[in-house]
Amino acid sequence: MSMLAGTTATDSEESCVLQLLNMVTPEELMDGDDYEEICEDVQEECSKYGQIVGLKVPRPTGGSRQSAGVGKIYVKYDSAESAKKALQALAGRKFADRTVVTTYFPEENFEVGAW
Amino acid sequence: ADGPRRRKKRNRWGDASENKAAGLMGLPTAIVANMTSEQLEAYTLHLRIEEISQKLRIDDVVPADGDRYALYLHPYSMNGFPRDRQAHEANLYIPRSPSPPPQYDNHGRRVNTREYRYRKRLEDERHKLIEKAMKTIPNYHPPQDYRRPTKTQE
Repeated sequence: MSMLAGTTATDSEESCVLQLLNMVTPEELMDGDDYEEICEDVQEECSKYGQIVGLKVPRPTGGSRQSAGVGKIYVKYDSAESAKKALQALAGRKFADRTVVTTYFPEENFEVGAW
Repeated sequence: ADGPRRRKKRNRWGDASENKAAGLMGLPTAIVANMTSEQLEAYTLHLRIEEISQKLRIDDVVPADGDRYALYLHPYSMNGFPRDRQAHEANLYIPRSPSPPPQYDNHGRRVNTREYRYRKRLEDERHKLIEKAMKTIPNYHPPQDYRRPTKTQE
């Protein structure tokens, strides 16, 4: 039991990296114009909560196996504090008529693209 | 650097206060619990299915920006002058994508209205997602009002 309690207590580690889900579809990401606009829109809105030091929007590669990161958006802030602000503010917002889900993402994995 | 570029869509962000479907589903959207990527994947799939179900239930099927596009639909009014010169010059004029030719049923009623097309699109998406959920989430139950499309559809 003590182990169970331990696991629930460790809430997802606060991180400088924010993971945004349910915002984009692989189809939209294939289109060059859509892709650029999506990056612009995300950059613009996310920069309201702190300084962005990295933005990754994995795209479909065309291979048969799709990367697990496709359809998710990763934003790295200069501080965990900014990421926390963004996590709370962006959750439940609408993006292209889809409800935004936010969570943290480990910084090490962001750097190497281990989605 | 290359000056204003004509966008395909207006800014995609909407307000949380206008997100009716999300309010009705009552599912958390800020996840601070430690989930594996598989759990997150399953949760997002479930949430999108619920979101579409709510949209279909409350008839919120036409995209919010559908109306906003219309604001800039015709940069020139009937007499040939820009209706909203500033918006036009700022290159904010974004044409609504062309509608398909109208189709009518036996009674002469139009069948492929905007409403209908967007509803159909959501139903199709929901169907695909539910199929996926049934394969990947153990004991997954589709929403009550979901009915599998019949095979005879074209």
